[in-house]
Amino acid sequence: MSETQPVFELRNINKSYGSVQALTDVSFKAYAGEVIGLVGDNGAGKSSLIKTISGVHTQDSGQLFVDGVERHWKSPHDSMAAGIETLYQDSSLAPDLTIGSNVFLGREKKRKGLLGKLGFLDQKSMEKEALAELEKVGISVPAGRRTVTELSGGQRQAVAIGRAISWAKHVIILDEPTNHLGARQSAEVLKVIKAAKEQGLCVLFISHTLPHVLEVTDRIIVLRLGKIVRDSPTSEYTVESLLGTITGLSEMSK
Amino acid sequence: MSTSVKERATSAEFAAPSLGSRLKGMLFNQQTVLFLVLLALVVYFGARNSLFFSQNEFANLITDFCGLVLLAIAETYVIISGGIDLAVGSTGAIASVITAGWLNTFQTHHMNNAELLLLGTLFCAVIGAIAGAVSAVLITKFNLVPFVATLVTYSAGAGLALVISNGAPVGYNPAATIWSSSGVFVFSWLSIIIIAIAVILGLVLHLTSYGRYNFAIGSNEFAARAAGINVKRHVASVYVIAGVLAGLTGMFFYIRSGSAAATTGVTNSANLEAIAAVVIGGASLTGGVGRWAGTFLGCAVLTVVTDGLIFINVPPTWNQVIVAALIAVATVLQVVRPGKRRTS
Repeated sequence: MSETQPVFELRNINKSYGSVQALTDVSFKAYAGEVIGLVGDNGAGKSSLIKTISGVHTQDSGQLFVDGVERHWKSPHDSMAAGIETLYQDSSLAPDLTIGSNVFLGREKKRKGLLGKLGFLDQKSMEKEALAELEKVGISVPAGRRTVTELSGGQRQAVAIGRAISWAKHVIILDEPTNHLGARQSAEVLKVIKAAKEQGLCVLFISHTLPHVLEVTDRIIVLRLGKIVRDSPTSEYTVESLLGTITGLSEMSK
Repeated sequence: MSTSVKERATSAEFAAPSLGSRLKGMLFNQQTVLFLVLLALVVYFGARNSLFFSQNEFANLITDFCGLVLLAIAETYVIISGGIDLAVGSTGAIASVITAGWLNTFQTHHMNNAELLLLGTLFCAVIGAIAGAVSAVLITKFNLVPFVATLVTYSAGAGLALVISNGAPVGYNPAATIWSSSGVFVFSWLSIIIIAIAVILGLVLHLTSYGRYNFAIGSNEFAARAAGINVKRHVASVYVIAGVLAGLTGMFFYIRSGSAAATTGVTNSANLEAIAAVVIGGASLTGGVGRWAGTFLGCAVLTVVTDGLIFINVPPTWNQVIVAALIAVATVLQVVRPGKRRTS
């Protein structure tokens, strides 16, 4: 795997807010078809890191590469255009819109000809394609226009992830996607993540729910106080050792 | 492995709604109910007083409807986007009062009637846009909540309209009414234009990306922003459009009566009538939910009630009480109907 080009790479990223050093020399490579867990205690720098990757803010120093090319984000739009989709904590769908409208939100398909130039939407084909895209990652919804309000929490999250997957070319960042979900609903979301991996996407999975992280990831990066303290294959962790690394207790006991 | 994922997701939760619940949904559909209510009202008023079915009265209804519908559609856009606009009435008033005064001075400058009226329409639209822009700046630049921002615009507009007009009709021009007296059947040219604008706004709301963003922002502003929609720009544009529509309504009343006044025509309380039409039409004040057809029917119901009460000899002072009952019934219906679209 190390011989192939990383789909995404960070080199020595530093970020501070005033006197608070949020990220210190963060570097890692990520490959297509890899699910990476990003864990850490509150204030460890997870949010700062995903905001840097998704272009919500820019790093003070350090480089960011997508497909081997160095990139600089001026806004989240730039990272989206480069094929990086970010799903923020349970708020990425407009509940009153249909599933199809949500999947295509911000990237609507226009009708052909003059009507399209005037901004008229091709709703039928959007609804159809949206269902097909969701089907690809194993989310099956009945045809017909349904609003997201009519879906359960787990289904909404599945649709939100399905939406992100259908637009992402390289990386999808999932911030606490199983938060507030029951066990069965979480299982559905985890299966969608596995489907994304099978499609060759790199998934960055941020979660406090360690069993979920251990179940679905190939590799886990542990952040503490803005630094990467461990970056190893998932098979080398147990819940206890992972917890110890996150809190720093395992080092103190050495 | 992928098949097992699919099996899981197709389980009962995603099952299509049953035929029974669909029928119920259709029956409780706000537009269907409103249409039936409208029909019942028309039949009732007509049965009590056959003059209600006269061509004259129909023409009156159309005209009254046109004085409300653009304000209500403006309010529909704003409310679906998650805001509220208290200023549509007073914006119409200030636009018509200023324009009427200007047109009076232009009248002496060898302009014919049609040129004057077109110029007046432009003036009204621009003044409306400026008033809307004030609300838009207060909301998007200074982060005032729409209620407060448009309360500012409302008070300023209402006050200025009174100051400028001195409380009396401004710019009497009987020739202006010519556009509202000729036309096709009971429709004056003026009302045909107003209804055409209303229909176009309906198409834009439900069939274009602009309308889609309006719903998305009202439904979940964060999601809209995350999807790359320029939320501030869109919200600002909605208030400017509402201002333009209010201005055009001001011009409508000027043409209809041949003069403008701060106390008749588009009055300051027209904003509440517009909001009532939108609420009766089924839109949610929390944003993201609403239909153009609902507002359109809501305007028709309000117009028919206002006019019809006169025909059955109920003092017009009762009008507001009846409107209150309509709003109460319409909103209660929204809460109890199946498949309600409430977001928590």
